[in-house]
Amino acid sequence: MIDDITIIWILLPFVVGFSIYLLPRWNRYFALAIAALSVVYSIGLLWSLEPFTLELLDSFGVTLMFDELSGYFILMNGLVTGAVLLYCFDKQKSPFFYTQLVILHGAVNATFCCADLISLYVALECIGIAAFLLITYSRSDRSLWVGLRYLFISNTAMLFYLIGAVLVYQASNSFAFSGLAVAPKEAIALIFLGLLTKGGIFVSGLWLPLTHGESETPVSALLSGVVVKAGVFPLARCALLVPELDPVVRLFGVGTALLGVGYAVFEKDTKRMLAFHTVSQLGFVLAAPAVGGFYALTHGLVKGALFLTAGQLSSRNFKVLREQSIPRAYWWVLVLACASISGLPFLAGYSSKILTMKNILPWQSFALNVAAVGTAISFAKFIFLPKKTDPSLKILPNFYGAIVLLLGGLFVTNSFYLEAYQPSNILKALVTIGIGWLAYGLIFQRITVKLPRVVEQFEHLVGVMSLVLTGLFWLVLA
Amino acid sequence: MSMSMLEACVFAVIFIGFFGIIFKKNLIMKILAMDVMSTGVIAYYILVAARGGIFAPIVDADQGAIAYADPVPQAVILTAIVIGFSIQALMLVGVMKLSRDNPTLETSEIEKSHTP
Repeated sequence: MIDDITIIWILLPFVVGFSIYLLPRWNRYFALAIAALSVVYSIGLLWSLEPFTLELLDSFGVTLMFDELSGYFILMNGLVTGAVLLYCFDKQKSPFFYTQLVILHGAVNATFCCADLISLYVALECIGIAAFLLITYSRSDRSLWVGLRYLFISNTAMLFYLIGAVLVYQASNSFAFSGLAVAPKEAIALIFLGLLTKGGIFVSGLWLPLTHGESETPVSALLSGVVVKAGVFPLARCALLVPELDPVVRLFGVGTALLGVGYAVFEKDTKRMLAFHTVSQLGFVLAAPAVGGFYALTHGLVKGALFLTAGQLSSRNFKVLREQSIPRAYWWVLVLACASISGLPFLAGYSSKILTMKNILPWQSFALNVAAVGTAISFAKFIFLPKKTDPSLKILPNFYGAIVLLLGGLFVTNSFYLEAYQPSNILKALVTIGIGWLAYGLIFQRITVKLPRVVEQFEHLVGVMSLVLTGLFWLVLA
Repeated sequence: MSMSMLEACVFAVIFIGFFGIIFKKNLIMKILAMDVMSTGVIAYYILVAARGGIFAPIVDADQGAIAYADPVPQAVILTAIVIGFSIQALMLVGVMKLSRDNPTLETSEIEKSHTP
């Protein structure tokens, strides 16, 4: 019974995705129904809390694995896709857009439940193609370049991944994730290179800011909220299945948390700041892989809301926004989302941060606390923007629909981990935010540091892959 | 040719492709270099499949046990070939559109004009 439902749920987005291209009048509704189905399915998964595995076509076939971790990721995918669809509801997007959106949704769902290397490869490549088509939806030269760059980087990384996959097969006669335990070290290094690049982790993730910053508003919300997690999820799952890989994944989590936040505090452009901050938050997901699902869920909801709202503002430059001040309605949305991600109590960001902090190892805690302060500094830029009442401003109801879905999700999921509400935790969260805001007011608001963008150049991004690969060899051999 | 010699050749192809991606200036050449790299990866799958034998894996009752090639990597790489080919096609279409305004297709030039 549950097997049949699962298979239907995985297949449906692809079937519907292609068929709604032929039903231009109904495509939005069908797409929304698919997102809603994922939400329902994931709630069922989280509710029953019983992990199960599906093996289709005996031992060489597709292995699917469902547990709490995938439940959270799927819930995130459903909610963010739903919000993006609501946002686009009356934007007159072509059927092509909805087709790609639904296929992307299905492919991301597939990555969140597959447990063998080849299904993962197919799902990730499918994501790459669908994301490319969404990025280049406007067909402008810039969007084409950004999309090509994305597809190029991800495809090259996936070629390395494929070499790793066959090495795993050679060692264990199966493509299942569990084969990584007996695989040669170079196989692990190659597979990790592919996943780190695809997931935008550490220096391999420096392609991400331009891609997420230059895409259209709904597309960047989707990319930053959901799609990068398709690379992060398998890393977390590998760390859980193969204990030897756990320290490596945690180390990359810490590294990327610091790197991303280091860029984010100095960034003066709203969307680029959000994108760099995504690089940092993925680190929190990986820092404690066992509870990463909840963190990924809250981050996805917040990032979706922030990207959708940042796209409404009159400028992308924080300095200009400070001079012009922003409409009060947007300010409230930004404050709620920023409060959640900075870890202010009564929003899900707080409980997920506490849960992650509880599950990290001692050596990680200093770095992650620094990253948490950095998060508060980066988002103070939004919170302390001056606000104004603008009577001429018309906010469309679908924008509210999307925001209510995302922020409402934050309030509701807050209840997933009520043990977080202890005086010491609340005090710690408030102190972290206090330090962050103080640092922002005293230091970061006044200084202008322009970090060089040379590492974001295409050739350097490809070159960095060889460096990361070398680094990974040393790391896993050690 | 021995197995390890073939393996060395396959890795040489992969590296040539990878360095082509970095050092070629023209976008089309970069895409072709990526194709060379993916050819190398495909060849490596075939090589792994041929470890146990090189006969087509079709069981024949008269012949008895023969050193068959492993069918799994071959079947898997078929999927990867199709995906790789479709991505190449997609990228070349994108490059065609880009070439209208950037006729030289030099990556550094395109990058300069499209980095805000």
